[in-house]
Amino acid sequence: MGKKLLAALGQTLLVLLVVSVVSFGFLKLAPGDPVALMLGSDYSRESYDKLYADLGLDRPLPAQYLQWLGRFVQGDWGTSYVSHQDIFQQAVLQALPVTLALAALSLALALAVGIPLGVLAAVRRNSWLDMAASAVAVGGNAFPSFYLGVVLIWIFGVSLGWFPTMGFVAPWQDLGAGLWHLALPAVTLGAWYVGLIAAVTRSSLLEVLEQPYMAAARARGEPGWRVIWVHGMRNVLMPLVTVIGLQLGGMLRGAVMTEVVFTLPGLGMMITSAVQGREYIVVQAGIMITALLFIVVNFLVDQTYAVLDPRLRQHGR
Amino acid sequence: MAADSAFAAAPAGRLARLGRQLLGQRKAVFGLAVVLAFVLAALFAPWLAPYPPTEQNFADAMQGPSAAHWLGTDSFGQDIYSRLLYGARSALWVGFASVALGLAGGVALGLLAGLRGGRSEWALMRVVDGLLAFPELIMAMAFMAIFGLGLSNVVYALGLSFVGPFARMVRADVLQVKSRPYVEAARLMGVPERDIVARHILPNIASPILIQAGMRVSIAILLGSGLSFLGLGVVPPTPDWGLMISEGRGFITMAPWMSGVPGLALALLLVGLNLFAEGLRDALDPRLRKD
Amino acid sequence: MTTIDHKARLAQAMAADFGRRDFLKTAAAGAGLMAASAVGLPALAQGAPKRGGTIKLAWVEAIDTLDPHFTASAGSIKIINNVFNGLLKVAYDGKRVSFVPDLAESWDMPDEKTHVFKLRAGVKFHNGDACDAEAVKWSLLRVADPAVKSPHGWKFAQLDGVDVADPLTVRLRFKKPYAFLPVALTGSTGRAGTIVCKSAVEKDPKAYGRQPVGTGPFRLVGWKENDSIELARNPDYFEPGKPYLDGAQLLLIKEPSAAVAAMMSGQVDGMSVCPFQFIPQLRKSPDVSVFGQVEGNYAFVGMNNKRAPFDDPMLRRAVAYAIDRKVIVEQSYFGEAIPAYSCISPPMSDFYDPDIAKSGRGQFFDLAKAKEFRAKARTQGEVNPVYIVTDGFTGSGGMGTRNAQLIAPMLAQIGIKPKVELVDRAVWTSRRNNSDFDMYDEAWVADLDPDETIYPEWATGKPWNFVGYSNPDFDAACVAAQDIIDPAKRRELYVKAEDLLMADAPLAVLAHMKVFKIMARKVQDFEYVPADLLDLHGVWLA
Repeated sequence: MGKKLLAALGQTLLVLLVVSVVSFGFLKLAPGDPVALMLGSDYSRESYDKLYADLGLDRPLPAQYLQWLGRFVQGDWGTSYVSHQDIFQQAVLQALPVTLALAALSLALALAVGIPLGVLAAVRRNSWLDMAASAVAVGGNAFPSFYLGVVLIWIFGVSLGWFPTMGFVAPWQDLGAGLWHLALPAVTLGAWYVGLIAAVTRSSLLEVLEQPYMAAARARGEPGWRVIWVHGMRNVLMPLVTVIGLQLGGMLRGAVMTEVVFTLPGLGMMITSAVQGREYIVVQAGIMITALLFIVVNFLVDQTYAVLDPRLRQHGR
Repeated sequence: MAADSAFAAAPAGRLARLGRQLLGQRKAVFGLAVVLAFVLAALFAPWLAPYPPTEQNFADAMQGPSAAHWLGTDSFGQDIYSRLLYGARSALWVGFASVALGLAGGVALGLLAGLRGGRSEWALMRVVDGLLAFPELIMAMAFMAIFGLGLSNVVYALGLSFVGPFARMVRADVLQVKSRPYVEAARLMGVPERDIVARHILPNIASPILIQAGMRVSIAILLGSGLSFLGLGVVPPTPDWGLMISEGRGFITMAPWMSGVPGLALALLLVGLNLFAEGLRDALDPRLRKD
Repeated sequence: MTTIDHKARLAQAMAADFGRRDFLKTAAAGAGLMAASAVGLPALAQGAPKRGGTIKLAWVEAIDTLDPHFTASAGSIKIINNVFNGLLKVAYDGKRVSFVPDLAESWDMPDEKTHVFKLRAGVKFHNGDACDAEAVKWSLLRVADPAVKSPHGWKFAQLDGVDVADPLTVRLRFKKPYAFLPVALTGSTGRAGTIVCKSAVEKDPKAYGRQPVGTGPFRLVGWKENDSIELARNPDYFEPGKPYLDGAQLLLIKEPSAAVAAMMSGQVDGMSVCPFQFIPQLRKSPDVSVFGQVEGNYAFVGMNNKRAPFDDPMLRRAVAYAIDRKVIVEQSYFGEAIPAYSCISPPMSDFYDPDIAKSGRGQFFDLAKAKEFRAKARTQGEVNPVYIVTDGFTGSGGMGTRNAQLIAPMLAQIGIKPKVELVDRAVWTSRRNNSDFDMYDEAWVADLDPDETIYPEWATGKPWNFVGYSNPDFDAACVAAQDIIDPAKRRELYVKAEDLLMADAPLAVLAHMKVFKIMARKVQDFEYVPADLLDLHGVWLA
């Protein structure tokens, strides 16, 4: 077992390496002179040369890459040209928690709505409830989140005044206000997932509903809800985890839109602002951190897989 | 196995069976109808549109739906219905062209990886994993940041971000087909690699790949509109649904149809595409539940 | 011997009179330039000012830097106005704009070329440093120092020297009489007279714009990228009792409709600026006060004089006459502006001609004339100039791409089809600064005197002359006007300068815009100053 874990880690490391090369390449491809950009409007020949050497631009490309990588791993991600702020601090300490909070709440909401919906659809298969649930599923998945967000702001934020229309309050500092501010964004982002979760729940449940062990449980006199939720859900867990993991890219994309529409200072907003302002060094940090997030979550999902499904442990992948 | 016998049958008969299975799926029919409606609207836009999409008319700006302007006008007095039709063109073009590009790249990579096997496959797949780690929207945004805005760049950007997902799918399918007995047999018999690929592998991976491609079109359209919404896609005054929604934000209380109409159109097209793709998948192999 | 009261003459010359009836006669917008918009009288106060509370403001404009000697953005000025003080400040009593001492206790002019400021005692910077005559001298010289390369350095071109008479007295000596000084010191677009803290600047000059240290009623205590800027009360502020507010939270919201949504839902107490199309709705709202008038500004289309096709004045003139300003006012500014015939705007009442529409002067829509000039242009056949635009709202500069989209069909009528390139603000700014464009549009705002509204923008070699226009006669007229205090004589010179400018058409003027501030009813004692300022000094929350 330990060997499998190590192999998985090794693979992950390699993928991380590829990601780092792509990110490094991105900054290299970006137009403009990075030294001039960093120094601002006005500088002397010697400060230019000094920064040039410091950035390692006089060395061959592979050496530059290694230097950049070394610094990156230590948390030295550079300083933004515009704000003169440390990018690591901005990305990881300020922006990342916001995006994580949004993602977590959205996922929780999507699960809270999607799973019961899926169960309902499975249990009342082919009834109008099933159709309705299907419709919600399809609708949520297709509705563009940027449009949904705009609509929600104006209906629930302005017209009804039930929720704030923008801004972020950290839930860990003020739970009530934090959740209240994240409510509309979480609905916007979560809507995309509800359909998926409902569909997966429904189909996985359908697979096992007629199985002998379920009938046995019913025969034993277990109440209906226990049969579904305890025995049936076991079969849903794995596909659910798979789907969530696989769709993580979609969630990050949705987070970009949601953060822009609701003015949340998360990673999505940071990257969008940086792209709009052509602040390549921040964009680079942004793509690195989103890729890192993705890889880490995938790795965790894979390991969860192994834990959940004993069959996989023996056969390996 | 069903797939094998399907392969053995003549292609025409297979298509007919597919057609029947497809029609049996209500979802697919509905989805197809919606998609076709948009495709026709896009194709015949120049004839269907009552006004040129960029013709400004200030006297009529920000009017709601009326006899003269079926879906109202925007803040420049441009007819929304006409812009919707032309917007369908750019949306569908982005969707299909970027998927086609991604497909081409992905198939090439995936085939290479799947056929070679061994070390080079392993290495290639790690590269693909690396590419896959970047969310498509963010990769497209980074591309636009470097290479500039515009419809063609949107297509390239999205195409590039699709290479990874397709490569992975193609490779998995290639591996599956490669291991089948008759392919092994063909190889043992000394049939040249090229023929094996052409006659056995490609046709067998075609359907699952095309289904995946179909499902990806809706994502491509969503991403393309998203890029325009963020101001990182096409340039005004190009009629584009994402751009229209973005512009409509500034007028949402006085003229909600400016964002509303393109938003609903986009949602409808995406729903249609999704339903059709799902129906297609269910029709071809109802037992298949992976994506 | 009676001493001539130079100061009074100057003050009188500089003061702009808003209440004069001839001003009301101003052309197009007719019915109630004054009536329709709320004249900035303070909201009826409910009792004595209450101390405490934090005001939340939606901040829509971009902020470039909070270093007053380097800023060029209205969004930054409004903040700087609360964090720093100047020797003088702009005051408005509802009718007249005047310049009153701020950091200085008194301001005297012993002769035409000398200004003496007596400073208040005991004023401290936010970091504890004393703000005395030496500190003031250092700050003024920083702006004037060519090595520092401040874009506002030109305001001190005539400065002969700064003397410290005693720890609280500063004397400014000029080579020639300098009528513009009060505006130079307070000019909203960068306050040359804004006093910065030497030790803080020297510690880290690059970071000073992010961590400003001033003497103002508020200190900057936090700045989160894409999020907000926090200001907190300066307990040592020299105006007794002020500020009433504990602090201010400026929420950086790039998307104006999001800011309006926040305002209408009560999430914020005010907006730093407002998109024109929301004004009617906000006016109807009972919880909101709308402040705004036509201010000292002009929107324009700049054409690159340094390269083809606009190095040809005939083509430029054709453009100037092909643009229908009424359409721009209605469609780009939603009626909240007046057509401009030249650069000088209504608030500069000693120099603005309210009858300019009938005078035949300046630029205006005349398609026949435009076609005439077009026929005389060097390039016949279709011309495709590159028109750089950026999205992103600038409250006083039109709405992103709207001007370009409205102008394009107008120019098509004279065989010019601009190629619109949408880039982001940072790229746009850099291309404009490097003259990498054929056409662009923007506005010069918050000006109070002709000198600042046309000289640094169109005189040869000046820092904001991005189109590369050069006309020695124009330069000479402007320079001559700087030395004269008599308004009638100055006016003659500026008429001459403007006529030259409008005839050569390095730009096509578009409109003079109203600039709005939106405040919730509970915000008390907000004093509207028609120089795009958002002064929180005396504001309190009911």
